[in-house]
Formats: sequence, structure tokens, C-alpha cells
Amino acid sequence: MKLDVTKKWCLEMARREGDAEVGAGLLAFDPEPKEPAEGTDEVHRHDDPHLAFGPLIALLRRRHGLTIEKLAVNADVDPGDLVSIERDPHYTPEPRTVFQLARVFRLPNKRLMQLSGLAVAKDARFRQAAVRFAALSGSIEALSKEEKTMLESFIKFLSEEEDKGR
Amino acid sequence: MTTSVSKVYLLEMATGKAVEAELHDGVTEQQLEDWETKWFPVLFARQQQLVRTGVPLAGWSQSRQWSWRDKMARIECLLAYQTFCIVCECVTQGMIQIDMTKSARLDGQSGKPLVYIEYLEVAPWNRTELGQQAKFGGVGSILMRAAVEHSVNEEFHGRIGLHSLPQANDFYGNTCGMMDLGPDPDYENLRYFEMTPELARSFLDNGREP
Repeated sequence: MKLDVTKKWCLEMARREGDAEVGAGLLAFDPEPKEPAEGTDEVHRHDDPHLAFGPLIALLRRRHGLTIEKLAVNADVDPGDLVSIERDPHYTPEPRTVFQLARVFRLPNKRLMQLSGLAVAKDARFRQAAVRFAALSGSIEALSKEEKTMLESFIKFLSEEEDKGR
Repeated sequence: MTTSVSKVYLLEMATGKAVEAELHDGVTEQQLEDWETKWFPVLFARQQQLVRTGVPLAGWSQSRQWSWRDKMARIECLLAYQTFCIVCECVTQGMIQIDMTKSARLDGQSGKPLVYIEYLEVAPWNRTELGQQAKFGGVGSILMRAAVEHSVNEEFHGRIGLHSLPQANDFYGNTCGMMDLGPDPDYENLRYFEMTPELARSFLDNGREP
């Protein structure tokens, strides 16, 4: 398509536009919608698997010896988002951030979406395993042998659960 | 891929001078490379600065999560989608992706076909986060014009629609003169704007009073 537009129009509109923000489009794409399960409400429950998301990302990052900034580059996500994920148990990230983290750490996307709070996990076994993981994970700088074992076990559990769902 | 190129002009904000640019009919690998190698490093550096200065996420660029490579892959070989970009000084200054399968919502237009703007984004140096001056002005307006002209060519009579990023509501409502249909709960509560054939004519004629 050839556009026949005058210089006058371009400049007049440029002056009107000024330095305004002009972006359009959904903030995120391909989200797995958050649908509350029957009988649950939106507030955080004591068995909310969301509690495990931050500790899981923090432990995986440390296992790979990555700083937050380095992980942000590798996963193509905001470093600020990663800070919030690791430090705020009530923070819900963007779907794309979760997708990118799943890709970088080779984790099942569906389960990670549930852990992040963007999708609802309906099976009690998964919820309990996630909360147990959150409760046991510490915050020491280097991964202890126990933390490594616990992390590997939880990742194995996530992958097995994903396989069962197929 | 062959693209059609039209001559357009941008406003160099620092000098107030007109700068010749090109509107390309299509986003190609060159634009994706620009996005990866030129846009992204600037966006990333700004985000680091936003983190350091403690600016809350609400104040960050609202299109920071977008991946144009993913967006282009998603519509590959789909004839209902079209893209345009603006190139100036051999660098991509803005991109738009449009969808021709949607219908109008406004009373009197409801159900009629329109060009729906899936995504519109300008290069980070043409934005003013953290108070820096934009390099070029007018990128958004020319991309909007491309969407309106495409709507006319498709015999949609200039009807277009879009969901505005929150910081851009003023641009679509006041500068482009679109009708604001309010927040759309099915689209992350973004405000939905629509342009009727009459408003499109006014936009093309640049006859609207500011």
C-alpha cells in the first residue's frame, strides 16, 4: 500500500502528538486465564501454591549461579519483576515472564503458571507439595545439600505431574 | 519479501526540523533485528535505571513485555493480518500489527468490519520515560494513518479499533479523535477506542480542532 501523505499533515500531527505515549495492544499475550476454582475465593489461602513460586525461582537461579540481572537477560524479562517474584509472595507476574522462566529453567509451563498464581491448581496433592516446598526452602546464599535435594525432588514432582496431565 | 515504501516525515524533537522517513508496508527480519539489537538494549538499560531509582512498575513502559519476534511468528502466513513500520536514519522507529477479522462495536457501526490494531509500539528513544526527550515525534500518528488508509483500501471506510495502553489513552481520545468506549473487561480492562468513517475522514484531513 502506497501512502500519499503530505509533509504538512505529518508535521501537524507530530506537533499534536508531541511526546505522548502511543502504545496499543494487550499488555501480555497468551495468558492462561486465572479462574477461581469452585468454592475458593481470590484471597490467598494457607495452602496456596503461589507461596512456592518465589522460593523456586530463587533456588533455581542460585543453583545456576546467576544474579538477578543475568537471569533477566537470559530469560528476557524485567529484573524488577524477578526481584518482586523472589521477595513478594503476593506478587503475580505477567504471563510472559512465567513463560520465559519456564523456558529458561526447562520447567512445565502449565505447572509454573499455577505456582505463579496466574492459573488455579485444583488438585490438593500439588497444592500441598508446593506449600511444603515453600515452607522448607531457606534463604542462605549457597545451596546446601539438603536444598539441592529438595529442589531436585520438587522439580521431578512438577515434571511427573505434567506428564500425568497429558 | 517485497515491501511497498512511502515517503513520510517525522519531527526531530531537539531541533524542530522535519526529517524524511519511510513507511514500509510490512515488518521484515530487518525490523526484528532492529528490535533485538537496538530497541531492546535501550529498554533494558532504562529498566535497570528504573529499578535503581525505585520507580514502581506502574511507571514503567507498558509494552516492555512485548516480543515482536513472537508476534510476527504468530501471524506468519495469515492473510488477515498486516504490518507496517517506519524507518528513519536506517533504523526502525515504530511498528504496527493489524487484524482484519474484527467488527465495530459503536452504536450505528456495530457488526461492520474494521481494522483492529493488535499492537502499536514506537522505539524507546522516541518515548519520554525518565524524562528524556524523544528523538522523533509523529511516529504514532503516521502508523495510525497507515491503519486508517488500509481500512479505506479494504472498503472498511476508515473504521479502526484498538485497546490503548493506559498511558496512551489521551493520544487516541484527543489527538486521534477516536471514540472511547471505556474499559474492556475481556482485554485486561484496557480502554477500547474506535474510529468511525466520519472521524477517519476528519483524521485524514487533519481538520479536527485540537
